[in-house]
Amino acid sequence: MLRTGTRHAPRRRGDSGLWLAAGAVALSLAALIALLFVLLQQSARPFLPAAVAELRWQGAAGPQQALAAIVREDADELIARASEWQRRGGAYLRIARADLLERTFPPDALALRLADGRELYLRGDAHALAALPSAAGLALPGMPAELPLRRGELVEILAPNQLGPGGRLRVATQRAWAFVSGSPGGDSGSAGLLPALVGTVVLVLLMSVLVMPLGVLVALWLHEYAGRGALAQLLRAAVANLAGVPSVIYGLFGLVLFVHGLGAGLDALFHADALPSPTWGTGGLLWSALTLALLTLPVVVIAVEEGLARVPAGLRQGALALGATRAEMLWRVVLPVARPALLTALILAVARAAGEVAPLMLVGAVKYAPALPLDGEFPYLHLSKQFMHLGHSVYDLALTGADAQRDLGEAHAAALLLLIVVVALNAAAIVVRNRLRERSRELSA
Amino acid sequence: MSRLRLAGADGLQPMPGGLLDGLELALQARALSLHYAERRVLDQISLSVPRRRITALIGPSGCGKSSLLRCFNRLNDEIADCRMDGEVQVLGVDAYAADVSVPDLRRRVGMVFQKPNPFPQSVGENVAFGLRLAGLRSRLELDDRVETALRAAGLWDEVRDRLDDSALRLSAGQQQRLVIARALAVEPEVLLMDEPASMLDPISTLRLEELMVALRERYSVLLVTHNMQQAARVADYTAYMQDGRVLEFDTTDRIFTNPRLRGTEDYITGKL
Repeated sequence: MLRTGTRHAPRRRGDSGLWLAAGAVALSLAALIALLFVLLQQSARPFLPAAVAELRWQGAAGPQQALAAIVREDADELIARASEWQRRGGAYLRIARADLLERTFPPDALALRLADGRELYLRGDAHALAALPSAAGLALPGMPAELPLRRGELVEILAPNQLGPGGRLRVATQRAWAFVSGSPGGDSGSAGLLPALVGTVVLVLLMSVLVMPLGVLVALWLHEYAGRGALAQLLRAAVANLAGVPSVIYGLFGLVLFVHGLGAGLDALFHADALPSPTWGTGGLLWSALTLALLTLPVVVIAVEEGLARVPAGLRQGALALGATRAEMLWRVVLPVARPALLTALILAVARAAGEVAPLMLVGAVKYAPALPLDGEFPYLHLSKQFMHLGHSVYDLALTGADAQRDLGEAHAAALLLLIVVVALNAAAIVVRNRLRERSRELSA
Repeated sequence: MSRLRLAGADGLQPMPGGLLDGLELALQARALSLHYAERRVLDQISLSVPRRRITALIGPSGCGKSSLLRCFNRLNDEIADCRMDGEVQVLGVDAYAADVSVPDLRRRVGMVFQKPNPFPQSVGENVAFGLRLAGLRSRLELDDRVETALRAAGLWDEVRDRLDDSALRLSAGQQQRLVIARALAVEPEVLLMDEPASMLDPISTLRLEELMVALRERYSVLLVTHNMQQAARVADYTAYMQDGRVLEFDTTDRIFTNPRLRGTEDYITGKL
């Protein structure tokens, strides 16, 4: 049948599919933005200086009065933080709106922070206080006589009620930077993420160095040498299934194989007298990196194998036809062409490894290890030592802190930092990959 | 491996008497059969390719031309489930003898593929690839051999200032001449060309044909082509293949003007 008449533009089929897909994308984006928003908002909380108020309220035993920092308030109640004269976690006040008699914000209210993380709220002149010599005792109205303090014990003197928005932001930035670049003081309660940051980065780099050669070799064997034999098929199935094993199982495996097996064996064999330095038979950086390398090996193998499969057959034959042996062909032509795929594999491995916490708790990450795993002391990289990890810090701050209000905020800050580290590591790899891709793009044309 | 059978014993057409008399042979296949798994692609082929001549292989798609080509540099070895029977001689030596080094064989029998396949490296490195494999390290000598090969492939004047550029930036025609230069750089004695012009435009094809004729001075060329005019223009001898057999082999003149077989004539004139 001959069709005549006007031609219609091809009807846009699957419009409902388009809407569904677009909706899914919008939902994912919204979730991502919400996550970032929550992280940013929550992690700003412990760093932004709170206003300090003179509160009077109706207590159970009559009217009470205190100088306190407003932490949170809503329609029903007000949560404030009073001076922490003794270290026992935050001294929080919870006052129902109905009981609140009076609230003023005196401009001379001071928020003083001690080296151990405690905060005190008093009234006085911030400039005069800051100018005191460090040995001078503090004499401010409202200080209990039995708890003398010296100027040197204060690490921060603020008059928060006098700060404008810019000043608050400046203080928040300073505090956040001190938090990120500082070391934790252990029992003294001061916080800092630097060891965890360095530990995370060093761990991921070490893991990459360990997993990439191994993964590439396994993929090469599977794709180039093994053929379709029963052994190769079995191995392929094993690799594919290993990718789905829960990470804590790898942690347990690492604990038994590396820490208790290999590590304890090393200790007994080589330096039983030199213990405890180094001690290989406890969790440590190397064992953690090895465990993560095992964890990410399937991901790397699968991604590299796919990359090898995409290398044009013409290039392989071209190399062979010029007298290359199989190994020379792989080494000089196939692997260079597959370099973008190797970086994709690395990106996937880093993305999987950087966020892992569960296996690390079994093989080396600890709550408190302020010494950096990388320093100027021989042998510079301390492979046998326990280390701190941002993921572990998030868990630790969120669940085991003494001061729930502040620590939860700090947990969010650690989470944000972990996110930044993962994104930065991935971005670096993606930049390198795109450079390589530009060179080999024309191949697929 | 080599089960010798006399040509003609299985109903093959014997070589026309005296066709290659007095000529040295570059390649020789005797009673050559090839199976991919259970599928037979070459069936008792006997063919002689003279030295320093161009021999064209023509025939319908899937008749086994490329497979036959790959027997001469043992590229079929790389294919799993590929089985070969019969004898293949390269420059008078059994190419499938146990003591033959396959990389050495492939250095003596260069190959150019249908699709230009330069490596994603610089122009210079592409040409030097085979030389480096052969163990040449001296920068001076490498540069010298690269230039010689590029000149022989008629590409030197176009790329002399672009030796460090990516080979992928060259045009398809230039790429094909580049891979010819790459093959020539290791100084092979035989050149296998598998439809080298099928991806090229007419101008590039013309240049490639001129190049082939020039190469005839020093190299023995076995050319697979679907282009009848190309075979007629450049080849000294032509073999017609069908269904895994060589049905007719003669001088190009006689194949194109006075073929013995009806099938050959039909194919050449486009009736098949």
